[in-house]
Amino acid sequence: MKSIPIGRSSRDEIPRLLRVCGLSVKYGADGQALEAALRQLDLEISAGEVVGILGESGCGKSTLALSILGLLPADARVDGSILFRNEELLGMSEAQLRRIRGAKISLINQEPGLALSPVMRVGEQIAEVIGAHSGLKRKARKQEAEAMLRAVNLTNAGRICAAYPHQLSGGELHRVAIGQALACRPDLVIADEPTRSLDVIVQAEILGVLRNLKQKFGTALIFITHDPALLVGFADRVVVMYAGRAVEQGPSSRMFGRPLHPYTKGLLNLVARVPRRDGSAPAGLLPVIPGGPPYLEALTSGCAFEPRCSRKTEICQSEDPEELMPEAGHRVSCFHHGS
Amino acid sequence: MKTGKMMTSKTMTNKAKTRAAAMVLVLLHGIIVFGGFIAPGEPASQNRDFPFVPPTRLHFVDAQGHFHLRPFVYQSVSRPEGLYEYEESRDQEYPIHLFVEGPKYKIAGLFLSSIHLFGVEAPAQIFLAGSDNYGRDQFSRILYGGRISLGAGLLATGISLSLGLLLGTISGFYGRWVDESVMRIAELFLVLPWLYLLLAVRAFLPLHISPVQTFFLLIAVIGSVGWARPARLVRGVVLSARTRKYVLASRGFGASDSYVLRRHVLPHTYGVLLTQAALLVPQYVIAEVTLSFLGLGLSEPLPSWGNLLANLQQYNVLVSYWWMFAPAMALVVFSLGYLALADAFHKRLQSVTV
Repeated sequence: MKSIPIGRSSRDEIPRLLRVCGLSVKYGADGQALEAALRQLDLEISAGEVVGILGESGCGKSTLALSILGLLPADARVDGSILFRNEELLGMSEAQLRRIRGAKISLINQEPGLALSPVMRVGEQIAEVIGAHSGLKRKARKQEAEAMLRAVNLTNAGRICAAYPHQLSGGELHRVAIGQALACRPDLVIADEPTRSLDVIVQAEILGVLRNLKQKFGTALIFITHDPALLVGFADRVVVMYAGRAVEQGPSSRMFGRPLHPYTKGLLNLVARVPRRDGSAPAGLLPVIPGGPPYLEALTSGCAFEPRCSRKTEICQSEDPEELMPEAGHRVSCFHHGS
Repeated sequence: MKTGKMMTSKTMTNKAKTRAAAMVLVLLHGIIVFGGFIAPGEPASQNRDFPFVPPTRLHFVDAQGHFHLRPFVYQSVSRPEGLYEYEESRDQEYPIHLFVEGPKYKIAGLFLSSIHLFGVEAPAQIFLAGSDNYGRDQFSRILYGGRISLGAGLLATGISLSLGLLLGTISGFYGRWVDESVMRIAELFLVLPWLYLLLAVRAFLPLHISPVQTFFLLIAVIGSVGWARPARLVRGVVLSARTRKYVLASRGFGASDSYVLRRHVLPHTYGVLLTQAALLVPQYVIAEVTLSFLGLGLSEPLPSWGNLLANLQQYNVLVSYWWMFAPAMALVVFSLGYLALADAFHKRLQSVTV
């Protein structure tokens, strides 16, 4: 176990659903240079909480999702600890993990069109998940699957149950994927960009479905996305990831109201704003963050965001910033968070 | 729209082709399975007075010029001046009767019966494909020989495909050193000259072993040598299938290895297995024929297509008695049927690849 970072000991009384401590993931076969995907990541989530994870592509969001479920490819090296209900998930046997996956922790995939088998009926695929974790009979499973489809606001559940994935629309597929993930009433659902490749109206519907189900079943949700707009009013807490690390995390009101890390500020500036009342457009172009995320194998000492940062100083080049907690529950890794 | 229509018409012809090839094969296999019923005689019963009789001609018009609706044959009698030369004795017509009593046999190897599809009254004989050097009816021998040759081909294919499926799946699914070692062994088997291997295996065994033992030995060797190619193909399919997103997704819902194999991976291999089966059966039938032809297979008097063709090793048979090639014709028809089926499967597989 890694040493516990600051501010942790005082929070130990509250039972956490999931606690990720110092999680590092590296890819690479034996004898080859390892490529880091996650570096010393800390994350906590309580029962029924919605945590939004925000970051660009390639900053390790999906790796995080897969490592919680123990589904990383064979060449991944994992360090640190992932506690789920005070049970260590890392190093757990495959058979034990199988009992958790789908039943306790579940994943909503990025592309449900690919995550559903093209040669099995949709209802059957949901029923199989239920069958894997309960002793229900065939008929009961089918009814349960249909009930699940109604729960995700699919009105014609009977037709959809009997359909193959290619017969359904994008929005329907996303709902099916959500229904499948929630079929066993898991404690934690990881939604890996669940609204990718959907238009805004369907996006809003899917978010509505997720919100409903969260209230209905009391499920905790990790919502991975690159769009801050989706998290506003939905996430209880927001974690901003950069280069395999959580650079800032806190309650969403603070994160959106008064972000501390320059990267968070940059991301929030990217959200397009509605023209003002008087008709004048918001000033000019959207302020982009220059450059792109770094190659993690080429990382040198210093802050990973330093090359792109507008407020860098000498210390940023030489030292890695430690995680600080300027306000209760709001943590940031930046030397200049105050300025 | 236009291309769409062309596509459908193309798949339709392929479908029709598959159906035609399958129907021909079903018919041929039916003939072989019910060979005892269709064959007019016994495969081993000799008729030393009539060696090398050419195929009996069917007649509709008699010597007086009268037309008969029921075909008839004349009795073949040997010409006094020549050796193995025959002529038709036109004294009496022998009409062909359907469902006649004859030697006992088992219908499809199960029920004893003595009813044959067709036959003529003694002393006339009907040799649809001529007779061989012992005067045995070659048509009956081809039908009975087909049981052995085809049976060997099908069983050996079963062995090869089971081995190939098992090893290919293990190799593709578990990867790493298992994959490496299985594939290296597969390559070894691919370069192995199976004919010489068989010669070697046969040389190690006692000279006289029972025909049943020979039969199964033959099948075991042919079948177990050929697993490498199906194994490599299955491995490729499994490799691609196991990286599908829905495999990862189902693991995320708690699926076990056996579940993923059963529901998501193995169904992908069926197409390849079917195509391979259609390719391997004729290949293995020909292998059996080759071995029997060389005297390494089943021994006389048991008929197999290779045994029948072995008669052609004698020069006089080769040049004088063209009907002794008849088993080769059966072999050609079978092989073409299977190859057409394999081709149709392959095309179909390509058109539906996900």
